[in-house]
Amino acid sequence: MLLEVKNLDAGYGYLQILRSVSLNIDKGEYVCIVGPNGAGKSTTMKTIAGLISPMGGGIIFNGEDITGLSASQITKKGISFVSEEMNLFVNMSVRENLYMGAYIIKDKKIQNERLDFVFSLFPRLAERKDQLAGTMSGGERKMLAIGRGMMSDPKLLLVDEPSFGLAPQLVANVFESLDVLKDQGVTIMLVEQNVTKTLAVTDRGYILENGKIGLQGASCDLADDPHVRKVFLGV
Amino acid sequence: MSNNIVSKFLNWMKSAAGFSITATIVIAVLASIASGPYLLVNTIVTGGMLALVATGLTLMLGVLNIAMFAHGEFFMIGSLTAYYVFTPISNYIGENPESFIAVIGPLIAMAGAAIVGAISGIVAEKLVFGPLRKRSTDNWVMNSFLLTVGLSMLLINLHQLIFGADFKGIVGYWTGMPVSIADVFISRDRAMAFVIAVIVVSLFWFFMTYTRTGMAIRAVSQDITGAQIVGIDIEKIVLLTISLACALSAVAGGSLLFMYPSYPTVGLEPLYLAWFVVILSGLGNILGAVAGAFMVALLKVITVEYIGAGWDFVVPSALIMLILIFKPSGIFGSDVRGALDK
Ligand SMILES: Nc1ncnc2c1ncn2[C@@H]1O[C@H](COP(=O)(O)OP(=O)(O)OP(=O)(O)O)[C@@H](O)[C@H]1O
Ligand SMILES: [Mg+2]
Repeated sequence: MLLEVKNLDAGYGYLQILRSVSLNIDKGEYVCIVGPNGAGKSTTMKTIAGLISPMGGGIIFNGEDITGLSASQITKKGISFVSEEMNLFVNMSVRENLYMGAYIIKDKKIQNERLDFVFSLFPRLAERKDQLAGTMSGGERKMLAIGRGMMSDPKLLLVDEPSFGLAPQLVANVFESLDVLKDQGVTIMLVEQNVTKTLAVTDRGYILENGKIGLQGASCDLADDPHVRKVFLGV
Repeated sequence: MSNNIVSKFLNWMKSAAGFSITATIVIAVLASIASGPYLLVNTIVTGGMLALVATGLTLMLGVLNIAMFAHGEFFMIGSLTAYYVFTPISNYIGENPESFIAVIGPLIAMAGAAIVGAISGIVAEKLVFGPLRKRSTDNWVMNSFLLTVGLSMLLINLHQLIFGADFKGIVGYWTGMPVSIADVFISRDRAMAFVIAVIVVSLFWFFMTYTRTGMAIRAVSQDITGAQIVGIDIEKIVLLTISLACALSAVAGGSLLFMYPSYPTVGLEPLYLAWFVVILSGLGNILGAVAGAFMVALLKVITVEYIGAGWDFVVPSALIMLILIFKPSGIFGSDVRGALDK
């Protein structure tokens, strides 16, 4: 098992959001977390990424207890987080942003290999490599955020709502690039609003409601589940 | 081809940056023709040193979100260190004027100033800013600002208590004939002060633009969460930034010791001037801070020359207010607003 989250409690200050969330993901799997707004999906990801320290429970990654480590330490262990807000370096060029994504890699040669890989994934970024991130369009920024997340050659990629605010064509692009990554053997945990599409492409899913895991199972089964259909698909 | 360059240049001239840089150069040249080249020399020396202090301020504000009002005291620490390092060296030089120490002695004093400045910056972070950062989540800007005002007063009074309130100065760093450039005589100390400022600022700019660590500092200033996500150790960057910023200010204090003897409040003037620079040039831009430093230096020199020494803070601040009314982001404020511009 690559990642094992056990009875995780987390929140902001005294406000507890996650209540005993348990989930796991195997190497090479493509897993999603879906749930209504405010359910705690982003909170779950931020806690795994080390941006929020857990109130209780544990996180085991690659056989190692990473509970309570700082975000930068967790990145060094091989988890890469693409946040909902993207958190790009707006006053840096596309290329500089990507190089910063490879911050934990010291070898310049490997950095450049990663850069070529990301450029092959998103040719658009290569065309605009000298443009400031802050002047890119919304869709380009999403690509840049995912690209930057890939630069460190992570074992596990956490992606939070990559298609949020994108036109349908770009949504398709984003899902395609995630497919490419999956084919390359990257383990992906995806959070998405677009439930139908997400359940169609992922292997397995967790339904998060009010900070608790409700249902879990193979994505195709979840898509057929009456509760899921009622809450998320309105049928 | 040449047409293209000309039209590009004209466009640049129309931008706030281009216009003000050109105006500065023109005014500096005209004033020097009218009243003598020493005006230009003063502007360049003051501007170079101001650039060091102002870059440090920009760094503190941009990366750490600290409106630093104790930065002048690191200038003071630099001048004090240089004084105590250079006094014995200068005695030795007096006895052995031919020794190579006469050449590198002043550099030792300035390096000493930089090192002590950097260390005091680290101490300030460990004792003052770090503990506050752990405790305060809301209102960080206000709290840290008040803390720097307190730190400033503390350091000024410590200086007075331990070293006394007298002026601790030196006759000069480099003895010998003034250098002459196109019939203008510049004392060696002034020339060297400018050269040192140019070297330090260039090295610093190169460091921030091209090195991995310099880029990490910029990354932290633009998006701290983004920086954490890519694996940057924020604590380390914070410590490095504070020590760099304080070292820059201390180097300025050290290399200007021949003009500004060390005394408790010696840092206040460079602090105010550096704040003018930061406000004027906008945040987040080292080159902007450098250009702004020369503008403020020119304003000050010209005011002293033509209006009177008592006005040297009034005129620059009035002019800066005017500029801010028309361009609130500062002359070189970047078009993309990042955390640095908050
Ligand atoms: N920084 C914060 N401080 C306090 N509460 C927060 C903070 N961030 C999120 N919350 C609260 O935590 C709860 C869960 O938020 P979270 O962002 O994890 O939801 P989400 O499932 O990602 O929702 P969405 O689908 O809208 O992105 C919400 O009620 C939210 O208001
Ligand atoms: Mg969310």
